[in-house]
Amino acid sequence: MDARAGIDVETAIAACAAGDRSALRALYDREAAQMLGVALRILKRRALAEDAVQDAFLRIWSAAASFDGTAGQGRGWIYAILRNRALNMLRGEARVDLVDDVEPLGLEDPQESPEAMVARMSDASALKRCLETLDAARRRVILLAYTDGLSQGEIAGRLGLPLGTVKAWTRRSLLALRECMG
Amino acid sequence: MSERDSLAAEYALGALEGADLARAERLERDDAAFRAAVARWRADLCALDDAATPAAPSPDLWTRIEAQSHAARAGAPTPARAPRAALWESLAFWRNAGLAAALASLVLAVGLVAALNRAAPSPVYVAVLNAPDGRAAAVVNVHADGAVELIPLEDIAVPQGRIIEVWTLQDRAQGPVSVGRMDRARRLKLDLKTLRAPDVNHLFELTLEPPGGSPTGKPTGPVLMKGLAAKSV
Repeated sequence: MDARAGIDVETAIAACAAGDRSALRALYDREAAQMLGVALRILKRRALAEDAVQDAFLRIWSAAASFDGTAGQGRGWIYAILRNRALNMLRGEARVDLVDDVEPLGLEDPQESPEAMVARMSDASALKRCLETLDAARRRVILLAYTDGLSQGEIAGRLGLPLGTVKAWTRRSLLALRECMG
Repeated sequence: MSERDSLAAEYALGALEGADLARAERLERDDAAFRAAVARWRADLCALDDAATPAAPSPDLWTRIEAQSHAARAGAPTPARAPRAALWESLAFWRNAGLAAALASLVLAVGLVAALNRAAPSPVYVAVLNAPDGRAAAVVNVHADGAVELIPLEDIAVPQGRIIEVWTLQDRAQGPVSVGRMDRARRLKLDLKTLRAPDVNHLFELTLEPPGGSPTGKPTGPVLMKGLAAKSV
């Protein structure tokens, strides 16, 4: 995480808006590996995940002027751009799931469980503390949606739950998380 | 939480589709309170992104980004990506360039005609393609002169409104590249001229795609068969 110490994300986004390409590079040095990890979880294939990261950085560069978040929201903005791109590729364009059975196409290793993801979250994170207050099944619904990019219908299929149940759990769990995080 | 707060939360989570997603996108653009609620959720949920296992990007990823960032600021049309990966990676390029698909078909057709005129001595590499149930369903012969030919061993059931597209994967960073299409099982010369010559462990695979080929430039349909190239004795 040393690379993260040097720059302030919101400042770097503002510098990108002013056309400072070294600020984009600084964001890349700080976040690209983490972003690729996030994209790989969703897209499963390295070439697609790198596409998503590439598109995200170009979007950050071209849309930096539109960032109007407050301090502390820069990374949320960046990761939302990345996740939006990855989800569009997953749901709209690539339908990569249909060729996932071809091992040599770059499918990554089986992924760690949602519980392991939570375990690796920073103990300082309010989200971690609050996720741990949800029961395991509801926590899993939230994690599959966010970290794996599954649609509500896909989660229902994966967990053998009615779609209405998945939707209700999602909504109520988010409500509980908001109350817990304040 | 109000209904709108719920919508903001589900939007940030990535749980929305269809009309709900369109409504959230509209509100994010037009409604400052909604935008603030979404931004707050994103900042909170980002803790989960931090828990993903980082992966080192390819050495050339920054080079590609930097090159395209110049084009983006200059207002120039998006150029094709690195030649190594142009076909595979430039989804937006293909989608936006209306003539690209037609041009690709033309290039493919010209390549096929040229390839068909080439003699085909005994192969140096062979790939046996297996159907999902393990049956050998086709072979790909790679000849010393660079000609590559697909020979089906049995008929292939092609649903109405679908064609067969042939792909090869030479390295993971590049991804699969289309090397031929056909409307039914037949012998087919494959067009690999933008690629390296096939080698051991290069993958060949056939998928079902819409007429004209995959709209994304990548395999989208079910895999009919696949197999790896091996050196012949």
